[in-house]
Amino acid sequence: MSKRHLLALFSNFDEAEAVVQELRAVNLKGFDADKDMIVKSPIEHPEVEEFVGDKPVYVQWFTLVGALTGGLLAFTLISASQGNFFAQLKGGKPIVPFPPNFVLTYEMFILGGVYISVLGFLICAGLPARRSPLYSAKVSEDQIGILVQADESASSSLKSIFTKHQALEIQEEAGK
Amino acid sequence: MNDIREDIAWAKINKDVLKSLENPRKLFWVILLIAIAAVGVAVGCEVYQYTVGLGVANFSNPHVWGLYIATFIFWIGMSHSGTLLSAILHLMHADWRKPIYRFAEAMTTFSLMTAGLFVAVHLGRVWQIYYALPYPNGRQVWPNFQSPLLWDAMAIFTYLSSSILFLYVGMIPDLAICRDNMNPGWRRKLYTVLALGWEGTDRQWRNFRVTYLTIACFLIPLAVSVHSIVASDFAMSQQPGWHITSFPPYFVAGALYSGCAAIITLFIILRYVFKFEEYMTLPILKKIVRLTFAIAMVWTYLNLIEYAAVWYGHDQASKDVLIQKMVGPYAPFWWTMNICGSVVPFIMFFKRFQTHIPVLFAVSLLLNLGMWLERWMIVAPTFSHGYYPWTWDHDQWPSLVQWGIVFGSFGWFTLLFMVFCKVFPSVSMYEVKEMVYHRSQATKKLEATGKLAASGKGAH
Amino acid sequence: MSVTSLLENYSEFRHFHPVDDVPHNPYKWAMSIDLDACSGCNACSVACYAENNLPVVGREGFAHGQAMHWMRIERYWDEDGREFPDQGAQFLPMMCQQCEAAPCETVCPVGATNHTPDGINSQIYNRCIGSRYCSANCPYKVRYFNWYDYPTTDNVWPAEMNQQLNPDVTVRGKGVMEKCTFCIQRVTVAKNNAKNEGRLIHDGDVQTACQQACPTSAISFGNLVDPESKVYKQWKAQQVELDKDAQIKDKEEGGSELRGYRIFEELRPYPSVMYLERVRESAV
Repeated sequence: MSKRHLLALFSNFDEAEAVVQELRAVNLKGFDADKDMIVKSPIEHPEVEEFVGDKPVYVQWFTLVGALTGGLLAFTLISASQGNFFAQLKGGKPIVPFPPNFVLTYEMFILGGVYISVLGFLICAGLPARRSPLYSAKVSEDQIGILVQADESASSSLKSIFTKHQALEIQEEAGK
Repeated sequence: MNDIREDIAWAKINKDVLKSLENPRKLFWVILLIAIAAVGVAVGCEVYQYTVGLGVANFSNPHVWGLYIATFIFWIGMSHSGTLLSAILHLMHADWRKPIYRFAEAMTTFSLMTAGLFVAVHLGRVWQIYYALPYPNGRQVWPNFQSPLLWDAMAIFTYLSSSILFLYVGMIPDLAICRDNMNPGWRRKLYTVLALGWEGTDRQWRNFRVTYLTIACFLIPLAVSVHSIVASDFAMSQQPGWHITSFPPYFVAGALYSGCAAIITLFIILRYVFKFEEYMTLPILKKIVRLTFAIAMVWTYLNLIEYAAVWYGHDQASKDVLIQKMVGPYAPFWWTMNICGSVVPFIMFFKRFQTHIPVLFAVSLLLNLGMWLERWMIVAPTFSHGYYPWTWDHDQWPSLVQWGIVFGSFGWFTLLFMVFCKVFPSVSMYEVKEMVYHRSQATKKLEATGKLAASGKGAH
Repeated sequence: MSVTSLLENYSEFRHFHPVDDVPHNPYKWAMSIDLDACSGCNACSVACYAENNLPVVGREGFAHGQAMHWMRIERYWDEDGREFPDQGAQFLPMMCQQCEAAPCETVCPVGATNHTPDGINSQIYNRCIGSRYCSANCPYKVRYFNWYDYPTTDNVWPAEMNQQLNPDVTVRGKGVMEKCTFCIQRVTVAKNNAKNEGRLIHDGDVQTACQQACPTSAISFGNLVDPESKVYKQWKAQQVELDKDAQIKDKEEGGSELRGYRIFEELRPYPSVMYLERVRESAV
């Protein structure tokens, strides 16, 4: 069974929403709206997320783990390095002084949080990635793209859905 | 006095911003040339100082710190407003920040890079600078984690790398736009690599939003901590004039202040050089000016409260330092700093000057002059009137080498900044689109409820 | 390994020195300087230059405040209307006070300055990167920075003069901080000799250069934890205690008659040098 990719471009969010709703409702061979439909937009748009449906974002868990690890690592490593066999008295302060170590722990907490969040972002967003088989520069300009993947047999009915909602352009390519 | 048009076509936004990467006004090249010349001066001074020794900068015992440390604090301070605009105002959903936050964030990054150089320039043995890094080694010799200078290094490293990431992550959608629109060449290759294959899919945007918000949340306490740690260099020491509890908030306020003033300066320059008149509009300028005025008043308050605390606290040594600042050899600078920092901002109080570009340009430069002097007035007078009588009246005038490097640092910053603005989009295209979109939605809503007529012309 | 050390010695790593700590043992080097005996002759300073290979910076360097006098004689003038030469001058030899809780130590980013087990504030030239924070935080301003590469500078040690350099002491290159070491090279030799003989250093085994050169014996140097030493006896007699930020004797009503005091005691650096106050003409 060969798959077929279709990319349709729309000029506004309302039309795109209508298409998404319709794609959800239809029953086509080899097409599952949750998996085979990708909505692309030029701006971060809360309404897109609303009509595409709720999908969990896991970046914040990376953040939590990163920040905690960073902080914990900082405190342990710094205290341990102060307590090595060169343990040197400085300024009459304790050899493992808490206030400075807390300052550094705080910084490492943030450092770990930021770094691992970005890592989490790359993992969760699947970046860096090869671009999908069908791509239009229009999406980064001002149009909303809907990329679907379905059986060859379904392509004509998909196309008719797109045209019904005034798609500005439909690109088509055979999948591998 | 036109704000960004709501009906501006998104394609036009792309076109206008991308144009800034291609053909800026001639002034751009003039600025770049001056900046390179200034960097040349600094490099010359540094080479001389490096070979001969720090004595050529005219330091002395015990006057061991000078303009380098003062300018270091100045540049660290400058970096804070980028975070204010990009992170704090992001959390507060202030949409007017959108056309200007990118360059403010770039300012953060580059002023931190400039500040980092001063650490190196200041050191007596810069070739051993790696001793200050906690690198694992067989002898188990570590840096001294008790030293505020080490906290500084750690804080600056964290701040610099986090703001680079913040700047970069926020730029990915714009890099994709550049990738899609640039003519083939090295730039397009660069953008292709940096855009990481961004396509604006729903999944990407969702994760992007959360990540951006998370880093913004981290950056705010980080920015505050960075400058309070710099303040700790002084407040944690024992010297009169430094050992002041209110230093951390005072430094943070000063940092935001000088940063906001710098944003006004750069706003005016960028707006002209890159023909951003349509995006960096006067109503936005007005908002920054008002913000700067508010911060100026916060700084003035903290400054006065510091004097009051020293005076009323009646620690004779600290009080003597304060008196020295007022009437001693540093008096002209001390008074200039107070006038520039606390009196000059009142020009921004008048509505007609809030969008008057030449006046604002001058004012913003004066404010930063005041803030630079503030840092110098924190560092230097303590050395000439410390605890120990032997140090008294031991003022030391910085040599031309010091001045040259300080001067060159401005060139270095300008160079980095201008090159950045030429290579990367300094106005965030996707966020301007968002801003325009949300405003037009709001207008539509008003129209629908028929309130537009009542609220007068224009939605904003 | 470090983590094990941390866990094993944790309680040792969590106390303040010298207030919550046991005294140094078996050595704690300290000094006392009798200002009544000091005639301000500068012999100590000259001896220090010779002993410790201090660079002579010349007239211009001195005018720029770049002199390297680890031991400096400060002059304070009476301000009672008399003119020079009748204006009473008082002298104070000032050198590193070898604080027990030195403000310079905590601030060094690379840990180049530390408190040694025999109670001296050490300076590791090799480790110093020249941030000069130690000097900025020193209340006495007794740290000196190598602004130039003095060993290679003209006229610092001209041709024959370099023959008098002390081979036991290194010369310092540019960009490092230096200060009085209590003639650590002499202390080390004395320690080795004593060790070879299986004993501790006796009082008088080791003299600092300044002490040796002082014509009026104003300076005494020795082991503060050795009850036989002169320094111990002087500190005891003057009721000056090492780990106090205010001496009990000073709290007596009407003040103490004893002359011993330490400079900036109230800043809590716990300095190891006791000065014996000059009996002023005005007070007599």
